[in-house]
Amino acid sequence: MATINPLLVSLDIKSSDRVVSIKENGNVDSNFVITHLIKQILGDGNRMCFVILHNTLGHYQNVGKRLGYDFLKQIEEGRIRTIEPLKDIVEDIGNETNYFVDDKEQVVKGLFKSIKSTMEELVEAGSSRVYLVIDDISHLLDLGIDLKYIISFINYCLSLINDERISVVINTHVCSKSDEIICNNLNYVSDVVIEVMPLKTGVSREVTGLLNIEKSGKEQVTQFHFKAYDKGIKTFHLGESVYNLYK
Amino acid sequence: MEKPSRGSFNIPGTVINGQNAQLLTSTGISSVDSILGGGLPVGTVTIIEEDIYGSHAKIMLDYFLAEGIVNDHSTLVASLDMNPYNIIKNLPAVIHNDPEESTISSDSIQDDKMRIAFRYQNLPTSDKDSHNIGHYFDLSKTMSLADIENSDICYWNGQRIENGTSMFANPAYNELLKAVKEKIKEGKFFLKDNPSKRNVLRVGIHSLGSPMWLPSRDSYHLMNESRDLDMFIFCLRALVRSAFAVAVITIPTHLYHENSLDRCIHSSDIAMRLQTFSGTELENNFSLSDYHGFFHLTKLAAINSFASKHPGSIEYVFKLRRKKFHIEKLHLPPDLQEVGSSNSTPPSIACGSSNKHLLEF
Repeated sequence: MATINPLLVSLDIKSSDRVVSIKENGNVDSNFVITHLIKQILGDGNRMCFVILHNTLGHYQNVGKRLGYDFLKQIEEGRIRTIEPLKDIVEDIGNETNYFVDDKEQVVKGLFKSIKSTMEELVEAGSSRVYLVIDDISHLLDLGIDLKYIISFINYCLSLINDERISVVINTHVCSKSDEIICNNLNYVSDVVIEVMPLKTGVSREVTGLLNIEKSGKEQVTQFHFKAYDKGIKTFHLGESVYNLYK
Repeated sequence: MEKPSRGSFNIPGTVINGQNAQLLTSTGISSVDSILGGGLPVGTVTIIEEDIYGSHAKIMLDYFLAEGIVNDHSTLVASLDMNPYNIIKNLPAVIHNDPEESTISSDSIQDDKMRIAFRYQNLPTSDKDSHNIGHYFDLSKTMSLADIENSDICYWNGQRIENGTSMFANPAYNELLKAVKEKIKEGKFFLKDNPSKRNVLRVGIHSLGSPMWLPSRDSYHLMNESRDLDMFIFCLRALVRSAFAVAVITIPTHLYHENSLDRCIHSSDIAMRLQTFSGTELENNFSLSDYHGFFHLTKLAAINSFASKHPGSIEYVFKLRRKKFHIEKLHLPPDLQEVGSSNSTPPSIACGSSNKHLLEF
């Protein structure tokens, strides 16, 4: 059995958590939560539909290697299906098609249609759970899509949960008022809210940021400090960074 | 960034960072390269938030473009505020040695031979980076026209603007995106292309988001003042990620509402901010008198890894000498009483003569 990853143990995402939202504040990078969750998903033998709006496949491949999974190989084997709007945007520039059309509702509907068909194929393919992971839904704002369409898009994605085997993980970056609205909507419907934020008073060499985990039903929020190293992430209880420095 | 798997290719002016499987290229300023952990990764967007008068940010952009020309990279330079031809004409000239260091090294030869630590006599005194991929430039001279004419430079100054696109409130953004995409297509910089000789495209955009870029009068997207800018930077990110291109953009963020450009910073990979002292109360600060302003590294994205080489809570300052623009760590001098423009003499005790020796009483 592979070694247990301490971050995943801290996060403790179960298959009963159907909607997970990850909130990224400020300049700290919350991508590690998704990459660790991918490890958990693959480790449990489940499948995944990945909508990538922020990073590229190469990034996930490199990070995946450090965590112990081969991202590109999983795509080849069909366990991970990716939807990359970034590539479509490059095609659309100058052509006024797809993402650049006037009617933003079409953009959102189109994206959801491709997600839905991919998810259906993944569900047909086996009996494992299927996860929909969206990396950075706040970038839809950067495409000029109005807030109401983004909220409808979130609703479409959540409607997928009617199928027992599907779970949804959505990452959003918060730095403006519109982002706050998306984020609050997500928090309202989520089973687990993972919040990653920088330290309030500045930058530290020993602690990269703060990690808050809130589960619906539980009153208390679990808090950790974390430090990002080249090879991985170390989490520790608040103020205990000293014990982890020399490992 | 896809790691290129076709054989070993060697683009001049770039170095591969094996740890993160990134292709790094120099900004032109060696001190900035070392702060960034080696250089700018190819495929990224860098934002430089301009200082109040924009002059120092322009100098950083000049270094970036000059480095590209010296390395034979293709260049696309765009600006609505200045004529891009003028930007290129006034780039600093390349020289072979660091203009500052040449004076220092000649002094050290006359140093006394070490008597006690003689074994360490011949060791280098300062640690130089072994991979210094950048070149040195002399700001007091301009680049020769021959160098400029021999290199592949594309100029964009917003002349041909067609109306009709409603994605952006100001069609200039769309035109610039199209121009960048055309240049990438034409030069075969896309990752999936297979040209005979690989090269890197440097995109330098001066003063994006300045008043020249504001929406035209009859547009209805007035609700969010930086909506165009957010869209542009996100689409540019998509473009450079899919090609061997690196973009450096200077933005006058002080013209915008505080924090309204946070989305732009999120879409970019590296963000830096220059804050000049002139015109503020810091100008008269004694310990900062050698320097011209603060250099803040707002964001350094962790691409292909978990942690970036962000230096953390170190304060950097920049200074602009006649020949060189330089960034260094701010070391505040020790707060000793006698250091200061006003040298106050210690009060003497009234009893006896006013002598220096306090023991004489």
